[in-house]
Amino acid sequence: MKTIEDLKKFYRETLYVALLPLEKQRKKIISVITISGIVIGAVVLIICLIIMGSAKNGGLVFVMIPVVIGLIAFGISYYIVSKGYKRQFKSAIIEKLVKFFDESLFYDQESGIPVSKYMTSRIFPKDPDRYKGEDYIGGKLDKTEIEFSEVHSEYKTESTDSKGNRHTTWHTIFKGIFFIADFNKSFDGVTVILPDVAERMFGFLGKMLQEYNFTRGKLIKLEDPEFEKEFAVYGDNQVTARYILSTSLMERIMEFKKKTGRPIHLSFVNSKVYIAVSYDKNLFEPKLFNTILDFNMVLEYYKDLALLIGIVEDLNLNNRIWSKS
Amino acid sequence: MKYFVLVLGILFVVIVFIFNFLVVKRNQVRNALSTVNTLLKKRYDLIPNLVEAVKGYVKHEGTLLTEITRLRAEALSGQKSREAKEAVDNEIAGTLKSIMAVSENYPDLKASNNFMHLQKTLNEVEEQISAGRRAYNASVNDYNNGVMMFPMNIIAGLLGFKEGDFFSIGEKERENVNIGEQFKK
Repeated sequence: MKTIEDLKKFYRETLYVALLPLEKQRKKIISVITISGIVIGAVVLIICLIIMGSAKNGGLVFVMIPVVIGLIAFGISYYIVSKGYKRQFKSAIIEKLVKFFDESLFYDQESGIPVSKYMTSRIFPKDPDRYKGEDYIGGKLDKTEIEFSEVHSEYKTESTDSKGNRHTTWHTIFKGIFFIADFNKSFDGVTVILPDVAERMFGFLGKMLQEYNFTRGKLIKLEDPEFEKEFAVYGDNQVTARYILSTSLMERIMEFKKKTGRPIHLSFVNSKVYIAVSYDKNLFEPKLFNTILDFNMVLEYYKDLALLIGIVEDLNLNNRIWSKS
Repeated sequence: MKYFVLVLGILFVVIVFIFNFLVVKRNQVRNALSTVNTLLKKRYDLIPNLVEAVKGYVKHEGTLLTEITRLRAEALSGQKSREAKEAVDNEIAGTLKSIMAVSENYPDLKASNNFMHLQKTLNEVEEQISAGRRAYNASVNDYNNGVMMFPMNIIAGLLGFKEGDFFSIGEKERENVNIGEQFKK
């Protein structure tokens, strides 16, 4: 794994040069946005003054119309101007950073983990009504094939209010990074590891409740009490689940959980491992109003990537001492 | 009288419920044990191939190979108590480890494809056996909880349900392999 020292060198020698024209463009965009803001603001203000002058008290409601139109116009111009920049930033910086970790990795900002693979993992059994994936990274690290991307899956509920209007509400099923890797042991079947909410909240009673989660298969009770406190494991085979979850892998998963400091879900399906790491923020996005020449900004992207690419080492997936090579 | 019959009825239902609960748990233990045995069988099946693959290379460790063949025959012969079987299996595990350890000293052997494949398969089987034993221990734990917890322990005692034994890790397995010692043989 590349260290922060390697990153500093890479930043000085390669990245900085690529960042310079982008920084120039960023400043230009900010001035365009500021000017368009001022122009739109001024036009809206004039129209509002005219309306207020001609319509007296009764017409004040109409002032809202130009304000709303002005805000929409500003939003659209902001979106158009920054979109191109966002794309360029990602291909100049994120792609280079991904290659910096390993030449064999590739990056595609437009695509994501397909919904079919997301569903195969069985981590989130609910069929999503809306599914988005972006910032796809894939490749082979030594012997282990990996791929991950940002994923946002949602389902909708519809309700009708007393006036007969229908409302659609979107609820997030999962938002964050969805990671898939080739596991180092061959196995059949499904083993799912979920954050253990019930046991942490209700203790012994929670454990009893878990046992009756019929949608998930059999509860697998493991020996490691620390692991049991954090996670609930379900699977279709007691022996396979333990074959996958050796005592050392349980420890490694615990370490990884601590390192992320976020809720993680895992599943092992037909010789592959699926990991869902929840994030509230949108990863790998440029910040328009901060300078990009700051090393700390690059460091932040590096840390996000290192955490994910590092899963292969963290879970020791390149250790191929079993018959799967 | 009416209440007496009612209490008796409820008591009967409770006993039937607990009895069935314990039977399910005991069957799970038996089932887990048979899985372990199937996995152990896999290990026995590997031994002749391993002996065959190693024989040509290792000149000084003949005793180890004779020992493992003897142990395999012993494990496969007749009915044994669970403890006796476990002891033999632990000895097999220890001897296999020793064979693998001394094989490190023969570069030709280590490089042979056949041996490498066997080594990986053996690692896999060992990991599966360990998983099988852990699953067995978990089901014994579940069953023992049923047998020992109040008020089920009263009914379990009356109906003859006994606590199950856990798999232990044999002394031989726990020891680190002493290569020097093996060479003296």
